[in-house]
Amino acid sequence: MSLPMLLRTVTTELLKVSVRQHVQTFHTGCQFLAAEKALLMKLRKSTGYTFINCKKALEKFDNDMKQAESWLHKQAQKEGWSKANKLEGRKAKDGLIGLFVGEKAAVMVEVNCETDFVARNEKFQQLVKDAAYATLAHHQSKNQSKTGYVKSILEGSDLTKLSVGEGVSLADQVALTIGRLGENMSVKRAVMLGVPAGWHIGSYVHGDVSGHTDMALGRYGALVVFQGGKEESRQVLGRKLSQHVVGEEPKTLGNMEDIPCGESETRLLPQVFLMDSSRTVAQFLLGQEARVLDFVRFQCGELTE
Amino acid sequence: MAALVGMRACFSSALQLSSPCLLNSSYKLCAVPLGRRNMAAEAKKTFSRDKPHVNIGTIGHVDHGKTTLTAAITKVLSEAGGARFKKYEDIDNAPEEKARGITINASHVEYSTANRHYAHTDCPGHADYVKNMITGTAQMDGCILVVAATDGQMPQTREHLLLARQIGVEHMVVFVNKADAVDDQEMLELVELEIRELLTEFGYDGEKTPVVIGSALCALESRQPEIGVDAVMKLLDIVDSYIPLPKRELDKPFLLPIETVYSIPGRGTVVTGTLERGLIKKGEDCEFVGHSRYFKTVVTGVEMFHQSLDRAEAGDNLGALVRGLKREDVRRGMVMCKPGSIKPHQKVKAQIYILTKEEGGRHKPFVSNFMPVMFSLTWDMACKVTLPNEKEMVMPGEDTSLTLTLRQPMVLEKGQRFTLRDGNRTIGTGLVTDILTVGDEDITNWG
Repeated sequence: MSLPMLLRTVTTELLKVSVRQHVQTFHTGCQFLAAEKALLMKLRKSTGYTFINCKKALEKFDNDMKQAESWLHKQAQKEGWSKANKLEGRKAKDGLIGLFVGEKAAVMVEVNCETDFVARNEKFQQLVKDAAYATLAHHQSKNQSKTGYVKSILEGSDLTKLSVGEGVSLADQVALTIGRLGENMSVKRAVMLGVPAGWHIGSYVHGDVSGHTDMALGRYGALVVFQGGKEESRQVLGRKLSQHVVGEEPKTLGNMEDIPCGESETRLLPQVFLMDSSRTVAQFLLGQEARVLDFVRFQCGELTE
Repeated sequence: MAALVGMRACFSSALQLSSPCLLNSSYKLCAVPLGRRNMAAEAKKTFSRDKPHVNIGTIGHVDHGKTTLTAAITKVLSEAGGARFKKYEDIDNAPEEKARGITINASHVEYSTANRHYAHTDCPGHADYVKNMITGTAQMDGCILVVAATDGQMPQTREHLLLARQIGVEHMVVFVNKADAVDDQEMLELVELEIRELLTEFGYDGEKTPVVIGSALCALESRQPEIGVDAVMKLLDIVDSYIPLPKRELDKPFLLPIETVYSIPGRGTVVTGTLERGLIKKGEDCEFVGHSRYFKTVVTGVEMFHQSLDRAEAGDNLGALVRGLKREDVRRGMVMCKPGSIKPHQKVKAQIYILTKEEGGRHKPFVSNFMPVMFSLTWDMACKVTLPNEKEMVMPGEDTSLTLTLRQPMVLEKGQRFTLRDGNRTIGTGLVTDILTVGDEDITNWG
């Protein structure tokens, strides 16, 4: 064995010894009962709060699981707010679009976080759902008397003031989730559409996160308001149109008679239809005897004016 | 045997007292030549290739100290001459990163231990990493999972492990960070226990995965060496031994994608190209595959820059003289390879990244049955795209798995990289993940 190799073996050996020794000193240093350890593990598993807080909670309430748990929930809200304040300046450009279509109404929200790891997390996805349902509830109570087409856009503080039930605001919910996941988050914008009889809403969410039946979540979302179409194929029609809106990113609606101006066309109707490149959207609509009245497109993380 | 173990124990306990200083000095010993070289060529350092290279990455929650650990590693190793110390701000404020808002996107931190040279990649997001893996900008031979002792694993740690699994990282080392902020040893053990459980759940060997407990901050601030410098050293030591060296290109069976074919009067036919992998020696058996042709023969000579040589290595641009070959037998796009090492296929499963408009790609998505041209090695061939059932379209900037059916079988294997183009635009780049057999449903009218 050469000298450096021998030295290396000695080094690793020494490291092992020194580490073992530390463990031993700690063992004698602060004895911690096995039962308490099991409780701590149990509390951590059932609540998911940090080890430090779980331990604090158990010490505070003398190992009473129930009290510890309720204290943890309260603590989480408080810590969520302080964490939220701490992380406020950090850029949150990832996230999800949540889209819900109900009877003659639809709502679409964008909630941001920092990394797509968090966007894949259930707790974050629940927050997106909460935001969407809060928006829907808000509009249903406000616009009940109105008939006709309703389109309302909410942004920033108007959104976070919304209630998610029992005196909890959406802002509280955001702070709580920030506390749990440790990334900056914000509810960026929401749009709500309500249509009169004879009008229909088509929708499509791209990059759908599988496993949610109640609401579609993804990176892009589009809502298209249209009239006409055949009864049996209406849903497919709405979906195709929305898919086109997601894919081709039109800025304005345009007119049925507009002449297309090539690749850079930003008006929806004269654009080449995504599903059939031999026709424009207007030509496709004529074939379906349908008319597009309005559309909304959300792309996660995009800049808004 | 027992006597030997006893002796070893005696030996180490005798030296125990002086452990930290000996530890450091042993590393310094190994690193002296390196350090000297650095000083001599301060103006522009020459990259030396004397150590095997390994790609490593860190994953973990944004606040658990991945960047601090990276900074600590460079600091600890810079004292031994194996790295240039990069401060937290240097790593975190790299231009690429500023543009993206968060941590490093490309591997621009490098360091070497006594045995190996490492390129260190951080992993800001799931999609970023998958993109890097597909395009080949950064691979990971092994990975350090960073978990803060104060928080334990985060809910999104599951997503981190899922990613590591998905991109085929088989060797994971855990660093439990921020041990200085936890004064209770039992809690550190619980954190370790929990992370081992999680590793097992995700198909890693949770029992045997090395877990190092320490504090990157302590190492940076040169305090509490037992959880600072020593822990980082221990981590590097484990990374050195636990993460195996990747298989080198030279050890693989040779593959020469043919670029041009010349016939030289009086000598025979020469094929040229850049040797993709392996070694070619004079007199070796070889096989020509591709463009629906196939035959075996022998390499009778290898030349580089009009000089003959005994053997050519991966990366060499060479000409090979082949016995009994006629010029019209071979054409560009075929390969010359070690017999039986690679075969043509018509249908493959692939993972692909679609370029955004800013990256030179198209601005619009594509749907199933789209027909681009596939480029790989020196061949190109029309192909048809079939998206997985749950996907209806693919947007620029996204990655997806898909099936490609070629118009004619071409040389393809698992792990091969390719590019898809449509007209004069590159659409995306991909990686073959599986070879499929062609069925009746794949008969396509190619127009």
